[in-house]
Amino acid sequence: MSKPTADWEKVGTRFYRKVQLYTAVFDQDLELENYLVAGAPYSGALALYRDEEKVHAYRGSRAAKPSIDWDKGSIKGLGWSEDEKLLVVTEDGTVRCYYDLQGDFVPFTLGHGAEEHGVKACRFWSNGFVALLNNNHLISVARYDEPRPKLLAIPPEGEIHSWTLIPPAYTLSRSVEVLLSTDKTIYVVDASDSEDRNYSEGPFVHMSVSPNGKFVALYTKYGKLWVVGSDFQETLNEYDSRSKTMPKDMQWCGNNAVALAWEDEIHLVTQGAATKYYYDGWVHLIPDVDGIRVFTNDVCEFLQRVPDVTEETFRIGSTSPASILLDAVDQLERKSPKADDNIQLIRPNLSEAVDACVKAAGHEFSIHWQKQLLKAASFGKSVLDLYNSDEFVEMCETLRVLNAARFYEIGLPLSYEQYQRLTPEKLIERLINRHEYLLALRVSEYLRLPSDRIYVNWASQKVRQSTEDEDSICRLIVQKLNNKPGVSFEEIARSAYEEGRVRLATELLNYEPRAGKQVPLLLSMKEDTIALDKAIESGDTDLVYHVLLHLKKKLPLAPFFRTINSRPMAMALVESSAIDQDRELLKDLYYQDDRRLDGSNLLLSEALSQEHPQARLDKIKLASRLLQDSKENAFQLKMLDEAARLLRMQEHFDKDLHTDASPAGGRTSGPSFHQRHALRAAEIIHVKRALKVQSEFKVPEKTYWWVRLRALVSARHWNELEEVGKARKSPIGWEPFFNEVLGAGNTRLASTFVPKCTGLSPRERVEMWVKCGMVGKAGEEALRAKDVECLRELREKAAGSTLGEIDRMIAQLEPRRR
Amino acid sequence: MAPHAALNTQDIAEKARRDLLQLLEGVRGKKNLVLEKSLADTLSLIVKTSTLREYGVDKFYFLENDNVDSSQRNVVFLARGEKAKTVIAIAEQINHLRRNGQVDHEFSIFWIPRRTLVSNQILEEAGVLGEVNIAEYPLYFIPLADDLLSMELDDAFSDLYLRRDPTATFLAAKALMLMQQRHGLFPRIIGKGDNAKRLADLLLRMRSEVTAGDDSYSNGASSLGLTPSSSIESLIIIDREVDLPTVLLTQLTYEGLIDEIFGIKANQTEVDSSIVGATPAQAPQVSSASSSTPALKRKIQLDSSDALYSTLQDSNFAIVGSLLNKVARRLQSSYESRHVASKSTAELREFVAKLPGYQAEQASLKIHTALAEEIIKHTRSDIFSRILEVQQNLAAGADPTSQHDSIDELISRALPLPTVLRLLCLESCVSGGLKRSDLETFKRAILHGYGHQHLLTLSALEKLGLLTMQAVNESEPDDIAYVFSGYAPLSVRLVQCILQKQYLASLGTSRAAAAATPQPQSAAQGWRPFEDVVKQVKGATFDEAQTGEEKAVRARQTLNGSGGGESGKTVVVFFLGGVCRAEVAALRFVAKRLKEEGVGRRVVIATTGMVSGDGVVGAAIEKKTFGGA
Repeated sequence: MSKPTADWEKVGTRFYRKVQLYTAVFDQDLELENYLVAGAPYSGALALYRDEEKVHAYRGSRAAKPSIDWDKGSIKGLGWSEDEKLLVVTEDGTVRCYYDLQGDFVPFTLGHGAEEHGVKACRFWSNGFVALLNNNHLISVARYDEPRPKLLAIPPEGEIHSWTLIPPAYTLSRSVEVLLSTDKTIYVVDASDSEDRNYSEGPFVHMSVSPNGKFVALYTKYGKLWVVGSDFQETLNEYDSRSKTMPKDMQWCGNNAVALAWEDEIHLVTQGAATKYYYDGWVHLIPDVDGIRVFTNDVCEFLQRVPDVTEETFRIGSTSPASILLDAVDQLERKSPKADDNIQLIRPNLSEAVDACVKAAGHEFSIHWQKQLLKAASFGKSVLDLYNSDEFVEMCETLRVLNAARFYEIGLPLSYEQYQRLTPEKLIERLINRHEYLLALRVSEYLRLPSDRIYVNWASQKVRQSTEDEDSICRLIVQKLNNKPGVSFEEIARSAYEEGRVRLATELLNYEPRAGKQVPLLLSMKEDTIALDKAIESGDTDLVYHVLLHLKKKLPLAPFFRTINSRPMAMALVESSAIDQDRELLKDLYYQDDRRLDGSNLLLSEALSQEHPQARLDKIKLASRLLQDSKENAFQLKMLDEAARLLRMQEHFDKDLHTDASPAGGRTSGPSFHQRHALRAAEIIHVKRALKVQSEFKVPEKTYWWVRLRALVSARHWNELEEVGKARKSPIGWEPFFNEVLGAGNTRLASTFVPKCTGLSPRERVEMWVKCGMVGKAGEEALRAKDVECLRELREKAAGSTLGEIDRMIAQLEPRRR
Repeated sequence: MAPHAALNTQDIAEKARRDLLQLLEGVRGKKNLVLEKSLADTLSLIVKTSTLREYGVDKFYFLENDNVDSSQRNVVFLARGEKAKTVIAIAEQINHLRRNGQVDHEFSIFWIPRRTLVSNQILEEAGVLGEVNIAEYPLYFIPLADDLLSMELDDAFSDLYLRRDPTATFLAAKALMLMQQRHGLFPRIIGKGDNAKRLADLLLRMRSEVTAGDDSYSNGASSLGLTPSSSIESLIIIDREVDLPTVLLTQLTYEGLIDEIFGIKANQTEVDSSIVGATPAQAPQVSSASSSTPALKRKIQLDSSDALYSTLQDSNFAIVGSLLNKVARRLQSSYESRHVASKSTAELREFVAKLPGYQAEQASLKIHTALAEEIIKHTRSDIFSRILEVQQNLAAGADPTSQHDSIDELISRALPLPTVLRLLCLESCVSGGLKRSDLETFKRAILHGYGHQHLLTLSALEKLGLLTMQAVNESEPDDIAYVFSGYAPLSVRLVQCILQKQYLASLGTSRAAAAATPQPQSAAQGWRPFEDVVKQVKGATFDEAQTGEEKAVRARQTLNGSGGGESGKTVVVFFLGGVCRAEVAALRFVAKRLKEEGVGRRVVIATTGMVSGDGVVGAAIEKKTFGGA
């Protein structure tokens, strides 16, 4: 086995390594130099595009089956998202988002003038892209599930030599920033601003932002490479390529080195040093988070800085504990006692050495060295008394998964770091996209992850492609998927439906346990009433509304009403929403349903919103007509008529009373107040009319008295009140008169009512007198009741002459006692 | 499989806060925030205005006012997405801004608590769906106190019982489902009422759907959530419809009376500053630029941050005076202690350190004294005592007709309509409806007294089942609740049927007492031995046990140790359709009793929203009048 350091190259102070991933990648006759190549992040799929006919999707190692036939015009942008969606942007601003690797896509357009001016180029980041138009306008799309193309700030006119972007995750503003090299300077453009960075060293023919967004590499026309901070505050590195020809590509290799690519040559530039790699054919660079994938017709290589632990372990002459531990295993295999010497040597650092070996194994692509390192770790572990093996076990699992994914037939050459960032769940998704169901299942079982997506995707695929008859497909799917948790039969059914297999879709849908899930598909299958029932069953009112809106648009009124009639929840929701939005519908509904009272009430409420008295009367009339010959609503009808009469009467009164300036005059609102208002006014001016109102509306005697009392008090008509007080009897008694008048502050008048309250106890009357401030009178009351106690209490309150009076009264009562 | 986390209301508040701020952070730069009026108070429970400003919110607008302008490029709408009306309003305002403005606006909508299909459909039809960024703000429960969770759905009552729109039930199920996902399945779901039954059914259905794997739930925690909870003992669901009289009665606790007289929204009450004095340092107004609240009103925070208030809130108002006095005297004496000459510097320092506390307490004392005085003005009025008398007579089961004169008089004296309606509805509720002639007389009196538009009000009350005509020969199903002893809220009695069996049996009829032989008090017995009594209360009765997969259950049992499971567990009491403050007080009392008895259960009350009697009849009251031109 060749030493792992064989492919190492020292650049500056650090080692870089080239790992050969695959050989014989492309056909030998494929002229790679004529192709545009785009690769998905985390060692994902490749897309190749040559002329205006075909886009090829490649996996890491071999061509994926379907090439996409292209007939949409010139492609100006080709890129991938993190989750392996392929984005194809054409000159006229049409974007197609291929969401699986099978050629299914969602289209959208850029707008913002893309059609008129034409797209010039696109730059992509993990989940969005920016398109540059021929008029230098920039349009950004930040997500693909609901794409919303946004126009960025307008940059200046002029030729753009090169451009790139900083992904939103790495900018201060959290929105994408575009770097444009125009003239000699660089503009930074975001959603709201286009800012000149005042450079004079341009024009720059290449610009590239490091994977962590912290650095920008600039390549000048004169062959110089600059590395600056992405805030453009300081220059971190400078390199002169001394090349007359322009490199055709420049990309970051991790965050510490920049790779310049000429046709068959790569310069790897890092802090103050550079190294050169030569190839047999045209090279393409596909940058990733921790390195670069290099493609030629023959090979696919991964170029990266040697990870720290790996360097420590393998560097020639390294004396790190890990490297000694590794050597110990070697000695052990040779049955040499030096193995133990080694262990004793690193005894104090043994657990550290084990950790390092485990980590180094992760970074290793060669299975031999993975094993070797794990063996070393295992050996070291066995010597230690206490060691937590979780990481070791986890690494073994991870490596097994990684090696399976790297296998050339699968073609996902993930590095350990890429795998950590991608997450196992996403890896499984990628496997599903590649239709590697078996491996996906194995991986998810091995890593204890949910496997429902795999089953669903497999079944959907089956439904689409199988040539068997529908019954056997259904049987096969149900047999395999039943009792698997989380499986969405709805999704499978949808695939079947989209494939035109309606019967199969219906069949499959029956296995979906979630009622709500079935609704949208049922609607598109035109199974409206089943959809409605399922929506109701789910209890989700939103779903029910959704179906109802759909039905209302589709059906004529009568069948619509028939449909909801037998479903109380649907009925309630229709009523509830129609009251705000569609009262006419509600009227029809009530009419068809013969719900007269509801219909009448609806009209009454409409009457309330009318401005003109006549319009109101008309509505009320309509409302009462609805109730005309129904017996149970007789009372309602009577009241409606009353309301109408009152409205009419109110009009008359308004005419007569517009000069009335009673204090409450301004507050009148509604017939009831007018009614009282009328009564009150009538009391003063039109006694007859008031009596008429009272009799006409059968206002009870007591109420009438109360109303009159409060009206008179609030209008401060004391004389009238005195007149009223002359009556012999009041149906509400006289106490209310006393209270109300007293409450209004007229103690004198209030006191006149005290003697009339014959129904009360003397004590209470005494209290009333006192409230009026008439202690003397109170005393008389007490005297009449022969209540000495009470008099004594009163004596406390009395003053001046009253005091004498009270004393006299007490004296009057006291002697008799003696 | 770690044991489930105990139910902690603080976590819920914190999560709500974080979620909102995260959403706001997603909209870069300054933004104008347009929100539904009803959400303003809710929001104030979650996050301070100043924090919102830190997150770039420039101005606040109410959706209802339709006055958002183009002063900021970013416009954020925050609204409940369940009602088409709201969605339409938002769509209109967006279109309006787009037509008018020279500004190229950036619109965002945060739907509470979820994005609905209907909202998508409406926005699409209005042509704005492609123009807005839409996100969900999954706000379900908001803690009002550490044992009180509310969904703050203001319309829940009228939606559920007037319009028969079960949206609130569904949202409640979602909310409880989330709780189950965090804390484990409610080992038992017990409840009363038709809607409550529906809610329980939904919970069971959702559980089976989660097992079937729904994207929205499968966030890793689902596997944990699907075993019976180790921290929650049971869920008791009480349908508001089961016990309407309780809300109709005047609440007589301190908090209840504040609610009755001034109204409490989102733990705040607004009181005339002539009563409590102006706000000491006029804090920047929370409300929007458009709000025209005059400075004459002062907002008072009513929650556990005010130590004095927490001692007062659930007390009967009758003793609040003496409690206040005691505090005043204590403060007085500790204040005066500073004059004592023989004070060491250490003592002095100690005193100074305590000073801010004293001052806060002093301020709080001043406010509550003023409030209590104002409340006394009300409670001493002859109208108040008349109302109370009628209520108590009705609740005590006196012949309702004997109260008619009083009600008549109160109508004639033009009391606020809700007050009168509450009395009438109470009578109808406790005596199974009114006689036709009585009903018509009262109706006429109300129409004459308050306007004929209230024909609609009365219709609505009938629909709500609050005001009904007596059906001949029908037994009076609700009556049973009032034979226990004096008056106690039926809703709370129902909870006691489950939690405090022995106590209740000792009060109750001999039949129940005989059945309740000393047994460990545990929800595990469900309604027993009160099934017969409970059956006579309106609505469905149910009792469902939720078990997990047997293996998982056993694993958990071994983990937790078999014993000691009962004590320290939480019982969640969910009021569908709302709960009033007096009931909360009563339940807290029950919880305290349980603690004293050594049954260390914790009671957490959850609800769709706080209600009061005025609110309940208010759902029916027609707001428009015939004079409103």
